[in-house]
Amino acid sequence: MSVRRVDAIAGLVVTVFGAAALTASWRMPRFAERNIDPLTAPGITPGLLSAIILVLGIALMLRGLRGGGEDRNPGIANWDRASALRTGFTIGAIVVYGIGLFGQVPFVPATAGFIFVFTFIAEWMRTDRTASLARTALGAAVLSGVATIAIWGVFTKLFLVTLPG
Amino acid sequence: MEGLSQFAGAIAQIALSGQIVHVAWATLLGIVVGMIPGLTATLGVALVATLTFTMPAQSAILILVCVYIGAIYGGSRSAILLNIPGTPANAATALDGHPLAVSGRAGEAMAVATTGSFLGTMAGMVGLAMIAPVLAEFALEFTSFEFFWLAIFGITLCGQLTALDDPLKGWIAGFFGLFIAMVGQESIHAYSRFTYGYRDLEGGFGLLPVLVGAFGCAEVISVMRQPAGEVVRANAQSVLRGVGNGVRSVRTWLRSGLIGTFMGVVPGVGEDMGSWVSYAAARRAAREQGQYGRGSVEGLLAAETGNSAAVPGALVPVLTLAIPGSAPAAVLLAAMVIHGLRPGPLIMITQPDFFFSIVAMVFWASVAIFVLGIALTRPLLMILQVRREWLLGVIFALCAVGAFAVAGRVFDVYVMVAFGILGFLMREAGFPVAPLILGVVLGPILDANFRRSLSLSQGDPMDFVSRPISAILAGLVLVVVIVGLAPVRRALARLFRRGQEKANA
Repeated sequence: MSVRRVDAIAGLVVTVFGAAALTASWRMPRFAERNIDPLTAPGITPGLLSAIILVLGIALMLRGLRGGGEDRNPGIANWDRASALRTGFTIGAIVVYGIGLFGQVPFVPATAGFIFVFTFIAEWMRTDRTASLARTALGAAVLSGVATIAIWGVFTKLFLVTLPG
Repeated sequence: MEGLSQFAGAIAQIALSGQIVHVAWATLLGIVVGMIPGLTATLGVALVATLTFTMPAQSAILILVCVYIGAIYGGSRSAILLNIPGTPANAATALDGHPLAVSGRAGEAMAVATTGSFLGTMAGMVGLAMIAPVLAEFALEFTSFEFFWLAIFGITLCGQLTALDDPLKGWIAGFFGLFIAMVGQESIHAYSRFTYGYRDLEGGFGLLPVLVGAFGCAEVISVMRQPAGEVVRANAQSVLRGVGNGVRSVRTWLRSGLIGTFMGVVPGVGEDMGSWVSYAAARRAAREQGQYGRGSVEGLLAAETGNSAAVPGALVPVLTLAIPGSAPAAVLLAAMVIHGLRPGPLIMITQPDFFFSIVAMVFWASVAIFVLGIALTRPLLMILQVRREWLLGVIFALCAVGAFAVAGRVFDVYVMVAFGILGFLMREAGFPVAPLILGVVLGPILDANFRRSLSLSQGDPMDFVSRPISAILAGLVLVVVIVGLAPVRRALARLFRRGQEKANA
C-alpha cells in the first residue's frame, strides 16, 4: 500500500469522523428555554473542533488522492509475514487480557496466565531462539509467577489498591 | 535573595528528611526504564504515577521528577551501545554515540552522555528558577481570551514540531485530542456530551488511562512489530576521560543547555526537539563538521545536554500555566492535580515553597544521574542484555493495573487498550501521538475559556484579537500554520538551500 493511499484512507476516516462529530455537536441542546446564553451552549466547542477536524481530514484526503505529500513510506505500508504475525498475536493477547480477563477473572490467575502465554509464545516465535521449548516454558512459568506476585503485592499491600477478584 | 534561601532550604529539606532515598531509587528506576528500548520516559512516569497515589504529595512528585529525569538520561545508554534510542529524545544521541562505541570508546561515550545530561539538567534548572517566576507574574494578566489562544497555539506548534515532515497529521492528532477531552459531562451546564447513555463515559476519558494506552500499550505493540534487536556486548573503559572531555566543551554545553531549556518551555515540544535543535546548532558552529555523525564527542554532548535541559524547561509551563511542555510533563501535571497541588499563574503567590521544592528536586535528580550514571556504568550494561520477549508481557500487565488503579474502574483498562491500539495505528500511519495527549490535557482549558470568551464578547470575534497578548498569540498561531503549509515549507527549503550554496561558494 502506497503512502498516498494510506493518506487518502486516513483522510476519509478523519473526514467522516469530523462530519459525524459536527452533526452530533449541532444537535446538542442550546437551553434557550432556560434563558441561558446560547454562546455557552455545550455543543459550541466540540462543534468548532469537529469543523476543524473535518477541514483537515478533507485536506489530507485530497492530498492523498492527488498524489501529494511526502515520499516517505509510513510503517503501515510495510509488512512482512513475521511482523504481521507478531503484531496480530500481541494485539490479540492484550485484547484477551485487558478486555476479556481483567476484571472478569480473579487478578492472580488472569495475570499469571497472560504473562506466561505472552512470554512463551513471543519467545517461541523468535527465529534465533536457542533454548529448548521446555526450558522456555519453565522460564516463562517462573517469570509469570514472580511478576504476578510482585505486582499483586506492591499494589494491594503497599499501595492499598483493591485488585479484581 | 529570598528565592535563593528558599531554594537552599528546599535542598536541605530533601537531604535531611530521608527523601534522598526516594531520589536514589526513583532515578535508578528511571534510568533502567529509559535504557530499555521501547520504554519511554512518558511510560515510566505514567506507570510510577499510578504507584504514588497514596503517598504524600511532596514524595510523590519528587519520585516522578526523578523518574522523568532518569529516563531521559537512561535512553542514552541503548542509543550509544545498540544504536537504538531508549526514548525518542535520545535519537540524536545515537548519531555520534554509537560510532564512538563501535570504535571502542563506549565507556568514554557513556561518560560524555552522563556529563552532558548532568550539565543540561543543571542549566535547565537555572532556567526553571529564573523563567518560571517571571512567566507566572506575566500570566497573571491572562484572561480567558489568552488561555484560549494559548491552548490553540500549543496544539498547532506541537502538531507542527512533532511532525516536521507532515504538520497536517500533527494538527489532526492535536485537534482529535482536544475533541476526545469533550467527551463526558461539561463544566458549565453539566450536560453529558457524546456519552450516549453510557454511565462510565460521564466522567470523560481519564488522562492516565489514555496516556498509558497511547504510549505504553502502543509501544508494546510497536516493539513486538519490529524484528528482534541485537543483545549488547560492550566494554566500559575510559569513563573519567569522557567526563573531562564533556566538562571542557563549555561552549557546547552552555549553548545546548540554553536551547534545550527554551525548547522545553514551548508547550508540547519537549526533549526530542531540545536534542535535535541543540545537535543541529552544535554542528553548525563546529569547525570540523565532517566529524558529526561519525563519532563526535561534541555532537554527543550537545544532544544529551539539549534533551536533559528540556526536562526542567518543560516544567516551566506546567508550574506557571498548568500547560505541559512535553508528554511526560503532562503526566506530572495530572499527578500534581490528583495530589491537590494547584499549578498555574498563582503558584508564586500561593505556593512559593512548592515551586522551590520542585527546583530542588531537579537539582537532586541531576546529582543522582551523575553519581549513578558514572558509578553503575558496568552493572547497568546487564539490563540491556534482557530480551524484549521477557519484558513486554510484564509491562503490559503493569499498564493494565496502572490504568485500573487510578480510579478502581475496569472501564479504564478498556480505555487503555482502545487507545493503545489507536496509538499504534496512528504511529503506523505517520500521525504523532504527543499532540493527541496534549489535546486531551488542553481540551478542558480550551472549552471553558472559549465559551467564557464568547459570552464576554457577546460573540464579537474582534474581542479575541483586540487585547495585546491575545493578538500576539493569535499572530503566532497564524505564523505556525502558514509555515506548516506545504508550498511555504518548500519555498523556505529552497531559500535555505540557496543560502547554504552561497555560503559554501
